[in-house]
Amino acid sequence: MVDFSLTETDKKLIDLVREENEIGRAFARELDRTMEIEPSRLRGVHPAVADREDPFELLEGVHEETSGLVIAEALMFMASAQDVELRDVGGHEAFGSMVLRNFGTDVQKEKYGHLNLAIGITEPDAGSDPGAMRSYARYDQETDEYVLNGEKIFISFFNKFDGAVALVKVAGKDGSRPEFGTFVLVKGAPGLIESPQMRKLGVRKHELSGFVMQDLRVPAVARLDADFGKTLSNFNHNRPIVSAVALASCRSLLDFTRDKLKAAGVELDYTQGTSGRSALVDRFIRLESLWEASWGTVMRAKWLEHKQGMYSNGYRTEASIAKAMGAKAARDITQGCLEILGPESLSEEYLAEKWFRDVRIADIYEGAGEIQRVLIARDIFGYKKELS
Amino acid sequence: MIDFELTEDQKAVCEMVRDFTANEVAPLARSQDTAGELDSALMDAIWQLEIVQSQCEPDGRSAFLAGLVLEELAAGDASVATAVASTMAYCLAITDHGTSDQRQALQESLKAPGFQALSLAVMEPSFGFSIGGLKTEAVASGAGFRLQGAKSMVPLASRCRSFLVVARYQEGEAAFIVPADAAGVLVREPCQTVGLRPLELSEVVFDNVGIPQGAMLGGSNGSNIQSIIDASRTAQACIMTGLSAAVLNHVVPYVKERIVHGTPLAQKQSVAFRVADIRIDTEAMRWMNWRSAWEIETGQNPTRLSALSYSFAGEKTMKIADEGLQMFGGHGFVQEHPLEMWYRNARAISVLEGVAGI
Ligand SMILES: Cc1cc2nc3c(=O)[nH]c(=O)nc-3n(C[C@H](O)[C@H](O)[C@H](O)COP(=O)(O)OP(=O)(O)OC[C@H]3O[C@@H](n4cnc5c(N)ncnc54)[C@H](O)[C@@H]3O)c2cc1C
Repeated sequence: MVDFSLTETDKKLIDLVREENEIGRAFARELDRTMEIEPSRLRGVHPAVADREDPFELLEGVHEETSGLVIAEALMFMASAQDVELRDVGGHEAFGSMVLRNFGTDVQKEKYGHLNLAIGITEPDAGSDPGAMRSYARYDQETDEYVLNGEKIFISFFNKFDGAVALVKVAGKDGSRPEFGTFVLVKGAPGLIESPQMRKLGVRKHELSGFVMQDLRVPAVARLDADFGKTLSNFNHNRPIVSAVALASCRSLLDFTRDKLKAAGVELDYTQGTSGRSALVDRFIRLESLWEASWGTVMRAKWLEHKQGMYSNGYRTEASIAKAMGAKAARDITQGCLEILGPESLSEEYLAEKWFRDVRIADIYEGAGEIQRVLIARDIFGYKKELS
Repeated sequence: MIDFELTEDQKAVCEMVRDFTANEVAPLARSQDTAGELDSALMDAIWQLEIVQSQCEPDGRSAFLAGLVLEELAAGDASVATAVASTMAYCLAITDHGTSDQRQALQESLKAPGFQALSLAVMEPSFGFSIGGLKTEAVASGAGFRLQGAKSMVPLASRCRSFLVVARYQEGEAAFIVPADAAGVLVREPCQTVGLRPLELSEVVFDNVGIPQGAMLGGSNGSNIQSIIDASRTAQACIMTGLSAAVLNHVVPYVKERIVHGTPLAQKQSVAFRVADIRIDTEAMRWMNWRSAWEIETGQNPTRLSALSYSFAGEKTMKIADEGLQMFGGHGFVQEHPLEMWYRNARAISVLEGVAGI
């Protein structure tokens, strides 16, 4: 039966996250200003939360009392802006490690399982279109090694992690067509050269670098049994989360805006019709409606995932809808709130301008908005390559 | 606990209404629009589905199910859906808020064999009308009240036996059950509107109409007028979602078949992306409506979410009808396709207030 109530445990988990995000606020500006210059990412647990329960760890234990593990997780991500990471959640964000866990053999897990691995897909000439990848691996029969050459850019947390799982093209045997192959790359290997951290618009807590592979030799055992599809198989799970994270910052910004409007004597009256409210209030209400509409698409995708299992392809269009909807809403909501708040919102004294910058990434990575629309339209029309 | 699963009963009702809509409602949409009149045989057939009647029974009352049904009907014709929703708004306001005498009196209408036109009378004839600024006023007079003012855009006004008139009363607002034949009630000719033409929207003037004591909805304590408005906003949002879904369903095969500059329209990104956006917005609307309707059904305060659903659906449905028409080019502008009608209906349903209920 259709139900939108939250369980007590859902609520408790959301509150825990919200409290922790609130604690983190105190460090938000400092991190925003310095992060990209000095990789000072926290390792371990920040003293400010040392005596608090880790909400995501708690979730694992109590998920049966929630609306569902992945549903509660999304609700937690949507709770409020998470400006800083007070816990080293490396494992959580190590998408390469996830590929290893899902598709590695026991031997591979034994060898690499303790590492935090980034995911290396994007290249200077291949972002949305992985087919354009140039990185290449060649098998060397004599040493039973692969030799890799190429460059990966925009690799999240590569500077902090122990290595990466990289997707590259592998020369086919006897000149047959190249196929995609996935390799575990461990830092320290000669020929694996880390690029400097990149400066960027927002989410500066989210470190970004890359690497060059120059005749990089890896043992044959480093090749995972994961083709292109498998490597990207957690996209369905992740895409609504990207949306949720952006919506979380939007929620904080909407709350901030509502409070400031109230302090300025502007009342939000939901009983009035369009013509009975000021343009300012009408604008705000429309932004709020975008938020609620996006919330529904995220919940819908997560509910399907909960029913079908994370690796099902049966909810991929809904996952794309949640991503496309929430990411675009985040752009509109944050731009709109700053316009409503006016010049004072530009000040770095408040986090409003930070949230405005932070959410912009959501419509770019994990498949930009345009890519989601290609996928959604293909599903609608029953197309494959007819639309690209 | 978050759940999007419809019950088997809800699915069965939706399926039944969907079939009925496809076979009976959709085929008559154009002719009703042209005639500016509902098909009475069709409306009687809908009445016999007992959608409205069952909602008025204690164990049949479900705002959520009512919302689902309105969306299904509106996928065939928003005018028919709104006509049903209008009668439903009247009946449910009395069922939910009425005194036992008022509910008793309603039974007569509910037992009738054919469709009963009954309407709320909320909007008023002024540009920039706002629901917060009603001018129609009721004052206590003797043992009853006197009602003075004018209401506009009342659905099927000339066929209604009775109106539920929302008016200013004392410090707030109240609703009054006013028979169409009461002295001083003047139902004007339908004004011929741009959209929802079969609803024969018209103005109703209340010139010093005497109303007995028992006609105030809910009796002397009055009733929660805002909840009637909330329900209308959510119901209208459901109708808009049905209309949007109809546009999507109509556009998809057309853009796949229509070859322009050597390839199907659907293979051109500017078209494909807009179709994707129609799907995104239609789904987003639907889940938001579900949540508003669920709030109503579970007795929470739905004012905020209803307003947001109504606002979002209104903006998006107008855009969807607009984009749908654009994709058909000249074929969308002429009457061989329903796009131009949907374009008109989208504007109408999204600016009306208080014409529906769940
Ligand atoms: C903060 C951050 C973190 C990242 N983390 C990682 C990571 O951990 N690992 C990793 O591998 N990558 C990562 N990326 C890379 C990210 O996934 C890419 O930036 C993204 O896929 C887009 O690729 P691109 O930048 O090359 O843009 P392009 O592919 O060049 O796209 C440019 C524009 O063209 C549009 N476009 C592309 N194709 C089409 C089409 N067919 N039709 C219409 N429009 C189209 C896009 O939507 C976009 O708007 C990260 C990026 C950032 C900024």
